[in-house]
Amino acid sequence: MVTGGSGAGTKFFGSTAQTARLMLYGLMAIVLMAMDHRGNYVPQVRSLAQHAVEPIYHVVEWPVEALHNLVAQFQSRRALRAENERLTRQLLAQQGGLQRLQTLEEENRRLRALFDGARNQPYEYRFAELVGVALDPFSHQVMIDRGSGDGVQRGQAVIDGHGVMGQVEDVQRHFSSVRLISDPSHALPVQINRSGLRTVAFGMGETDRLILPNVPREADVRQGDLVVTSGLGHRFPSGYPVAIVTVIDREEGRTFARVEATPLAALDRGREVLLISLPEDVGEPEEPGPAESPEVSAEAAAGEVQE
Amino acid sequence: MNLRRDRLSMVLVTLAVAMLLTLIPLPAFVDPLRPYWVALVLIYWCLETQGLISLGLAFVVGLALDLLTGSLFGQHALSLVVLVYLVTRFRARIRFFPPWQQALSVLALLVNDRIILLWIMSLRGEPLPAIDFWAAPVVGTAIWPWLFLILDRYRGVMRQRSVT
Repeated sequence: MVTGGSGAGTKFFGSTAQTARLMLYGLMAIVLMAMDHRGNYVPQVRSLAQHAVEPIYHVVEWPVEALHNLVAQFQSRRALRAENERLTRQLLAQQGGLQRLQTLEEENRRLRALFDGARNQPYEYRFAELVGVALDPFSHQVMIDRGSGDGVQRGQAVIDGHGVMGQVEDVQRHFSSVRLISDPSHALPVQINRSGLRTVAFGMGETDRLILPNVPREADVRQGDLVVTSGLGHRFPSGYPVAIVTVIDREEGRTFARVEATPLAALDRGREVLLISLPEDVGEPEEPGPAESPEVSAEAAAGEVQE
Repeated sequence: MNLRRDRLSMVLVTLAVAMLLTLIPLPAFVDPLRPYWVALVLIYWCLETQGLISLGLAFVVGLALDLLTGSLFGQHALSLVVLVYLVTRFRARIRFFPPWQQALSVLALLVNDRIILLWIMSLRGEPLPAIDFWAAPVVGTAIWPWLFLILDRYRGVMRQRSVT
């Protein structure tokens, strides 16, 4: 056996050498983690390398997809008809709501034109599905089945039927990974729908909680308030529902209240999502918008993954 | 030399299967119970072969796993390097333990790995995970004897084939 240092001949020095190697590899791993965390070089290398592992995702997804098709095959006619009926009813109800929305939108447009305000472009939505690949549960990412081949771009906003989910982080040929708003390093510029108060929502690493750390103690926030995107920073379009305020803690002697909110989107169990694309390029998405309000100026790097 | 290459290819095949098992989606309520497949397979090969699983191999496998699961780059690399180091260090003892004692040492290894993960998470400023965070090592321990038998069988079959 003359195979490297751990063979029989080097038994005496073997364990010291092994410990030294442990130190070396451990140090390398820690340096890589730190660089990945701070966004130096590693994320770029990583998104290149991810192209290489893409076929593996196809391999994993194939049986899952087959199973889904099989289940769909055997789903009874009756269940399908019931579902069809339910969906038709839901569609009708929502169309009723939309009719009113259309008149409101028209009115809004006219008023804006009067004030010579910002133009309100219509957004385009593209349907995508979550890929049946289980990522690390602590990475706060999901994979969707649209990639650069479908025109997906880095930084695009992703929503589901109830609210904002996150933004596209890495784009591959047929897949892209989406950073969820629950990630502790994700900041989302938002405003309280009722009072118009602008702030930033940070993830806490849990799928059912967001934190709004810089709301002044005397600010007008109530439990049950709807939190919507403010559109500052140009990454997330404005006016999409994000969360419902659940906890407000106005501790004496503090400048800021502790406000927590529950995301509306099904971050951990959704399956269908929508990608929002802006019809025209709105400036450089990396730069924070010019119209930052004072309390968000530092943090609102526009939903930029930061820290 | 040929034997070594055959063995290495066996290791790589089983590791690839372990990675696929890691990526296969599970319903949300069993997902936290998913055992650390790659670690279990690496422990097996460390115990059964001498000097085949180096720390460098563990490091590379860990990086591949990081890439696949989208975790922090280097996280699995660190955890697997520490794991392989510990197993090779105590290999002589763990190998001749009775099965239940061997399973206990596997549990200790997996729990130790969870503690490393916890340390990394706290450095990143993530909140403490829920209690089911500790369920995966227990499931891994329960699966260990069966995995051991399956891999032994696989190795036996492959050896037969290479002899004939």
